[in-house]
Parts: sequence; structure tokens; C-alpha cells
Amino acid sequence: MPTDTKRVRGPEVSQSPSLFLCKTAAKKSTASNDARVDGRQRGQVDVRSVFVRCGLISQAKGSAYIEAGNTKLICCVYGPRETERKDETDMKSGRLITDMRFAPFSCRERGSWIQGSDEKDLSLMLLESLRPGVCLQKYPRSQIEVNVMVLENDGAVLAHAVTCASMALADAGIEMYDLVLGCSIRQEGATYLIDPTFLEENGCNLASGSRENLGSLTVAFLPSLNQISGLQSDGEMGEDTLTGGVRTCIEGCFKLYPVIQQALSKAVRRKAPPSES
Amino acid sequence: MSPMKLCVPGDRLCSTDDCMPGTGVYLRHGYIYSSLAGYVLRKNEGEELPVISVVRETEAQLLPDVGAIVTCKVTSINPRFAKVHILYVGSTPLKDRFRGTIRKEDVRATEKDRVETYKSFRPGDIVLAKVISLGDVQSNYLLTTAENELGVVVAHSEAGAQMVPISWCEMQCPRTHAKEFRKVARVQPEYLQA
Amino acid sequence: MATVQVSEAEKVYILHGVRDDLRVDGRGCEDYRHMEIETEMVSNTDGSAKVTLGHTDVLVGVKAEMGKPRPMVPGEGYLEFFVDCSANATPEFEGRGGDELGMELSNTLYKVFNNRYSVDLKSLCISPGEHCWVLYVDVLLLQCDGNLFDAISVAIKAALFNTKIPKVHISEDEEGGKEIELSDDPYDCMRLNVENVPCIVTLCKVGHRHVVDATLQEKACSVASLIISVTRKGTVTCVRKVGGGSLDPESIFEMTETGKRVGKALHAPLMQLLQEEESLGKKRQKVGFLG
Repeated sequence: MPTDTKRVRGPEVSQSPSLFLCKTAAKKSTASNDARVDGRQRGQVDVRSVFVRCGLISQAKGSAYIEAGNTKLICCVYGPRETERKDETDMKSGRLITDMRFAPFSCRERGSWIQGSDEKDLSLMLLESLRPGVCLQKYPRSQIEVNVMVLENDGAVLAHAVTCASMALADAGIEMYDLVLGCSIRQEGATYLIDPTFLEENGCNLASGSRENLGSLTVAFLPSLNQISGLQSDGEMGEDTLTGGVRTCIEGCFKLYPVIQQALSKAVRRKAPPSES
Repeated sequence: MSPMKLCVPGDRLCSTDDCMPGTGVYLRHGYIYSSLAGYVLRKNEGEELPVISVVRETEAQLLPDVGAIVTCKVTSINPRFAKVHILYVGSTPLKDRFRGTIRKEDVRATEKDRVETYKSFRPGDIVLAKVISLGDVQSNYLLTTAENELGVVVAHSEAGAQMVPISWCEMQCPRTHAKEFRKVARVQPEYLQA
Repeated sequence: MATVQVSEAEKVYILHGVRDDLRVDGRGCEDYRHMEIETEMVSNTDGSAKVTLGHTDVLVGVKAEMGKPRPMVPGEGYLEFFVDCSANATPEFEGRGGDELGMELSNTLYKVFNNRYSVDLKSLCISPGEHCWVLYVDVLLLQCDGNLFDAISVAIKAALFNTKIPKVHISEDEEGGKEIELSDDPYDCMRLNVENVPCIVTLCKVGHRHVVDATLQEKACSVASLIISVTRKGTVTCVRKVGGGSLDPESIFEMTETGKRVGKALHAPLMQLLQEEESLGKKRQKVGFLG
């Protein structure tokens, strides 16, 4: 292509202005200390109210949709079906396969359709969180596929993905030891933000002065067995802060528990009204 | 009847002193927990403890298990074995296709060394078989038809008509009256009902 | 991951041993195996280190390259991690077999270093918004005998300690054009402060107790382990549960406590060792790969 020397050409790469939005938001929110942007309070187990529903995708064996604030996820479960990749361990118990993806329009910046390494990492975390909850030895020689699609990312994606996937598994009639619920917090100094939004998660409205104990924590919890099936943190935290954070997350999971139970019961009732014996 | 109780996985249903575990439940520390989202069903059977199960609207996802009677369709044959697709376990249709193998030795119980697979099955036949093994890494489900009640139940002749069994090893085409060899099943009346 | 088959009898033996604080190789539950560290192994890197922990062998090379800072943080450089699970370590890694593990390891490393204390990223900035140093940390697994995370983190810390980034000078001419000059003197270089680089401690839950630095046999007996990365001061920069099992909250709290204690105790001797080796300078006897 002949270059037009008279024209001033723009830079070769461009960045979305929304990337820089973060900093302006930070300035605004320093006014009040305890209130969060969406009206919740810091330091309180105040998870976003969730909307959950099972069985919205008819082709799948089981499916679930979860909406917490602006975080929206959809999950489908297929199987158990014959394993494609065979190895010795599959013969005794089934294989769980997880795949978590972000829709290209789910984040502020457009993503690509190709699964990135962070999506693969989230898939792995999802797998490790769900596996203790599923009775895999009841499904020898077969695989169960869990696909999670993030439609809108507004923070705490992994936590909600875990909850959503366990609902979809239950909806699919896969035998499970327990439901798996997820909860995450953002620790900022002495205070924490439970179920953070995207802006909060990325440390955008940082309270001034809190330079220590800054990090995120996600817990996957089996409420009836009282077991933690997934744990992940980053940032920097003291040991006691971390312990406190895990406790807070468990508390958050218990807040979620009745909602999920109710939604599942509703799904069962819708599929088969209780009239028949 | 009282409104049926709903439960979700992980719900504690009762102690093992009160009930026996049925399907859709698991045992832990002397208590019975639900492993499915569904209705709690208590069944009293005689003087024994009632059996507690969790049921869903659809039959719980069945997988072919050792000893199960399966209905399958023959996809290909060769001198050593016939390959099949398992369609039903008992009377429950499978959602996904599982592959199985009927080896030459497992076609019938007697004169195993004289078996010829192409005289027993043809691709497209519907066969009743029993699962003898889940197979290992290389192989699929291993099936057998070495019982009188097992073998071909539906077969089509070369002319395309559905054949009628005339003996345990032959079937006849109603249109051309040509006889073809099959390992024919003596279908039990209760299966005919279904 | 490279795994071994363990029979039921062996499992019981290991489980009972761990219960009595006696492990197969004579260690206590919180003891590491013998560890050997050597820095400056590969001359083509800016910093390198090899760590041998039992039969686990890890080689880390750090290469500094000039790049453009990320738009979100114009005043900082950044680190890139890549873990290569070569087929040398175990035939299972041949082809794409090691990719999954490599991905898991490198993603964990990103999390471990995702805080403002581990490495002073500001010191990697050359001119804000335009140029910065990008440190490519490449990890090569030479042998696998369990506890990869810990060995890798120690090797990274040693390699970063050993890293020498050439000093650059920015001169500006009248028209505002910037020019980057590399120092002529090869000894005129910048060193990184690695005091706060965390070390990973992996705790394997075996029976009702947990063990540090599990061998492959012990790992086969455990359903879940906890990875904890601990800094010199005892703060935790990353926690992660790995493995298919679940853990009850109390044991997680116990494990973090142990992890913190063990991790904290690991830093001082490691730093001392690195400084000693450094002070020997050219007199140091090189061991190399045959050691």
C-alpha cells in the first residue's frame, strides 16, 4: 500500500478509553469511607442479591443462570457421556471437564474468542472447586462437561461461576455430595469488600492509606459438609487477615445457600409438579 | 398424600437407624444425605426399615453397568467381534451413545469355537445383550449374548423387510422367504410388553 | 503431573508414619529435603539459578529485555513467567503433555508476584510510558520428584538475586527526542532487591496432618494440598488449593499457620546462602549440571 505522506496517521495500536476510567472513579469515591458505590457497606457480609434460575437451556442436560449485580453467567452441563481421552484412572471414576470462557463483550475491553491463559486458569480453579462435590465414582468410563460462559463481568466471576456450575450439575441430575458455593472478598487494609464489583476488584476506589493487606480471596465451600473445596488468593495479606477473610467468605456462602436451595427446589417442582404420588 | 418434600444435594434426610438408603442418596457418619435435587420418597417394604430415596422427574442418569441388560444396534462386524451402539439400559433410553463390543466367544454359550460373527449378526440388527465388563483403556463395554433370551430381536432381510424368527439360529424374510442366519433371542413376554 | 503408583499397604505405611511425625525418608513433618542452590549457571542469561530439592531439579533463567510499559501502569516494568515442562523430566510431558501443568505453574507464579512488594517494579522503569525492563523468567523442569512449586519459587528468588540488569542512560536532545544509551562497562549494572520475593510452601494433607515438601509417594497419599507463598516478613501473597479433594476450614487455618512459619524460616538461610555465594565471586567453585 503506498503511504500517504500528507496525512497524519494515527498510532498503530489503540487503547479503549475505559481502561483509564478507573482512576477517575478513584477520586470520586474517597468522599465517604464506609459506603460502597452500590450502596453496600464495607466490612459487612453484604453479598449482592442474586437472581438464579435453572434449566433455561433445553438442549443441555442441566443449565443454570446467575446474576449478581451486573455479573451475569450462564452454565451448561452435558453428559455423562463416553470419554474421548482415555486413561487408566477413568475406568474407576468419571472425569469432570470444565471450560470457562468470557464472552468477548463481557469485559470493558473486548476480549478474543480464543481461550486465554487466565480463562484456562479459571477453568482449572473451577474444576478443583467442583470435583470434591461430585460423586464421580458413580460415573465410571464417562465424562461430565461443565461449560461456563461469562456474559457480563462485574467482579467475583470465579465465585459465581462455582455457584452457577454446581446448580447446573444438580439440575442435570448428576449425583453430588453437596452443593458448592463460591464467595470472594477484596481485602483493603483493615476492612474488606465482600462480593466486589469489577472496579472494586481491581483496586480502583482504594481507600487512602490502606497500603497493607491488599488482596483478593475466593473461596468455594461445601455448606453441608463444612469443607472448603477451592481457595485462591493474591495480593498481600497477613495470616490472621487471611484467616478472617476465609471465615467471612464462608459466612457469605451461607447467605447464598437458601437462595440456591430455593431455586433448585423450584426447578424440580417446575419439571414435575408434586401431584403425582 | 402429604405434599412431597423437596431436597437438594447435601441435605441431611435422616439417620440410618430410621431408614435404609435407596437411590439418589449417600451415607456419611451414620446419616443419609441426598445426592440429587428431587423429591424425597419413603417406601415401606414389609417389616424392614423403610427405604429412602430421592427421585427426579426423569429416570436418574443410568450408565451401562456390569450385569445390566442393554438394547443395542449393530454398527459393524468382522470375523472376531461385532461393534454395537448401546441405545437402552433396561427400559431407559440413553441420552448419549455408548459403544460396546460383542466378541466372537461371547455370542453363544455352546460351541463357542464354531461361532461365525457374520452368521450371528448383521449391521443394523437390534440386539439384546448383557454387559459383562466395563472394558479397559483400549476396549469399550464388553457385551455377551450367550443366553437363550439374548440375541437378535429385530433384523431386516436383504430385501429390506423385517424378518420373523424361525429357530434360534435362523430368521426368514416374509417377502422373499429367504432364510438368514442370526443368533436369535427368545424374547421373554415381559419384554414384549415394553 | 508426574505421578507414581502407590499400593494400599504403602499408603497405610506412609499415613501411619506421618501420624507419628516420622516420614519415609526420616524427616519430620515440617522438614525440607536437602536443597542445593547454584546461581549463574547459564552465561547467556542476565541471571540464572538451579535448585535441586531431593530429586527435583529446576533451572531458572532470567532475561531482561526492553519493552513498553503496560498502559495501566506506565511507571512500572513487569515480569513474565513461563514454565516449560520438558520431556526430560518425565516422558508424560512429551508433546503437549506438559502444557497443562506448565500453565498451572506459571499462572500461580503470576498470582504470587501480583502485589506491589515482591519486586520493586518501579525500579524496572526506564522512562515512564515509553520504555521499561521486562523480566522474562523462564523455568525449566529437569527432574520431577514432587514439590515443584517450592523448588521453582526458591530458584526464581535465587535467579532474581543473581540478575544483573545493565544500566541505561537517557539523554534528551534539543528537539525532545530521547536516546537510550547502554552503559559500556559490563560491571555497571543494576541489581534487584529480592528481600521481599516470596517463597512458596506447599503443604500436603496426608491423613489428619500435613507435610511440607512431599515426595511423589506422599503426594499420592494426599487428596489436596495448599500452596502458600510467604514473604520474609511472614505476609502471605498467594494461597491456592490444588488437588481434587476438599479441606475443612480448621485444617486450612492450621496449614496457613504452618506455611507461614516454615516459609518465614526459609528466607533467612536462603538469603545468607545467596550472599555468601556472591561474596566468593570468581573464586567460587562451579558445580554445574553434573554436581
